[in-house]
Amino acid sequence: MTAQPDASPPAPVDVSLGIGKLIVPSLIGGLVALTLGVYGRLHHPTGVVVSIAGFTSAGYVKSWLATAATVFAIVQVASALVMYGKIPRVSAPSWTGSLHQWSGRIAFLLAVPVAVNCLYGLGFQTYSTRVLLHSLFGCAFFGAFSVKMLILPKRGLPGWTLPLAGAVVFTMLIGVWFTSAFWFFSTYGLHR
Amino acid sequence: MKPNMPLVTLLSGAALGVGVLITSMLWSSGTASASGYGATSPASATTAATPPPASSAAGGASGAAPATTSATAPATTPGTVPATAPGTVPATAPGTAPATAPGTVPTATASVPKADIPPKADYVARTDSGGAAVAISVHAGKAVAYMCNGHAVAAWLRGTAKAGKLELTGKNGARLDVSYRTGKATGFIMADGTKYTFSAPLVHRGSSGHRPPGLYEATATVHGVKIKAGWVVLPGGSQVGSVEYFADADVAPTAQAPVLDLTTGTAQYDGVTLVASLISGFTGSGF
Repeated sequence: MTAQPDASPPAPVDVSLGIGKLIVPSLIGGLVALTLGVYGRLHHPTGVVVSIAGFTSAGYVKSWLATAATVFAIVQVASALVMYGKIPRVSAPSWTGSLHQWSGRIAFLLAVPVAVNCLYGLGFQTYSTRVLLHSLFGCAFFGAFSVKMLILPKRGLPGWTLPLAGAVVFTMLIGVWFTSAFWFFSTYGLHR
Repeated sequence: MKPNMPLVTLLSGAALGVGVLITSMLWSSGTASASGYGATSPASATTAATPPPASSAAGGASGAAPATTSATAPATTPGTVPATAPGTVPATAPGTAPATAPGTVPTATASVPKADIPPKADYVARTDSGGAAVAISVHAGKAVAYMCNGHAVAAWLRGTAKAGKLELTGKNGARLDVSYRTGKATGFIMADGTKYTFSAPLVHRGSSGHRPPGLYEATATVHGVKIKAGWVVLPGGSQVGSVEYFADADVAPTAQAPVLDLTTGTAQYDGVTLVASLISGFTGSGF
């Protein structure tokens, strides 16, 4: 408070403090992404994945799980837009918050087994642009998601942080989906 | 105090991830040793491949029973298997010792003596990376090759063999470019947009009672779907196999093949018995 002009009291201090609160979550998120990538790179891919009854191959299992996660992620963006009042003439119903939370949790929990199968069975690969982008998006997604979850309970953050974090998480997931499931379905068809 | 739900979400995801990972590991070691990478054969230890050390769970002694080989338990390595000692070639391993493989140079073909180019030959090996395996059979100027990773990638390739060179092609732009000699075949294969390099030693027959190492195929119709399975059986009995669904399709979805029983030459797939036949350049079967 020493050098602050009286006219503009704690606002700038708050903002800088708020941004300061982002440092540790961001570092953790970066560490998560890095860990996944390094594991995927160092771990010798086994090619072995658990198959699930009803699906003909692991590719379909993963593609459909990823697609489901993406659908829930779209619900995320829609519910967030409603909560922030960005949709004209739509006022958020009381359950919007719960919808947002649960769609996010479900999307995340759907994405986790896919990622494990990818990292365990295939690893972090770079042999084509699509595959490289997919590997990067995949690791970044879990890093960005960790950041968002860690900053979520924090108070006093600048207003743009959560929307920005959410947008990054969503963009990463769309990138992941586009470079994998979308490619897979357009190559092999929707079923079998 | 209210629980920190976002943190709970994160931790649940982490726990789920660990759970799935452990399941995958157990699953792959229990039923799918065929495509686990741990079962490094003596042959690949003697070639230029880079297998992880001390991973010779299936290296010879347990080769007769693929279902029981453990891909994740190097501690069970039989003490008698010298798989990690490149200098000592077990009796069942192909002749990759320096005496029979006189400094093969992959590219310089001009000075290769004709005696160095076998008219009939079979080669198998794991690829240098990517967890895949490749098998090549050469017979009277023709060649068949198969590569798969026991998962989503499988490619059959055919073409001609000429002057110690193979240039084979398959569906979806798959292509193989190899120099072969009496000792080994070296080169690369392009499949699914990936380049797999390998150095594959010549397969020697002789392990009695079991199907020899080499290339196996089986076709069947399962629930109205035509499938084609391929296995690369490596010296020592480890194997990598994939199944293609809608085998006639241009891009056939591919999954892991069931374990090929090397005593009966069959595999059980969704209630259907697949009878595998050997594609051998040495005997000419399958050509």
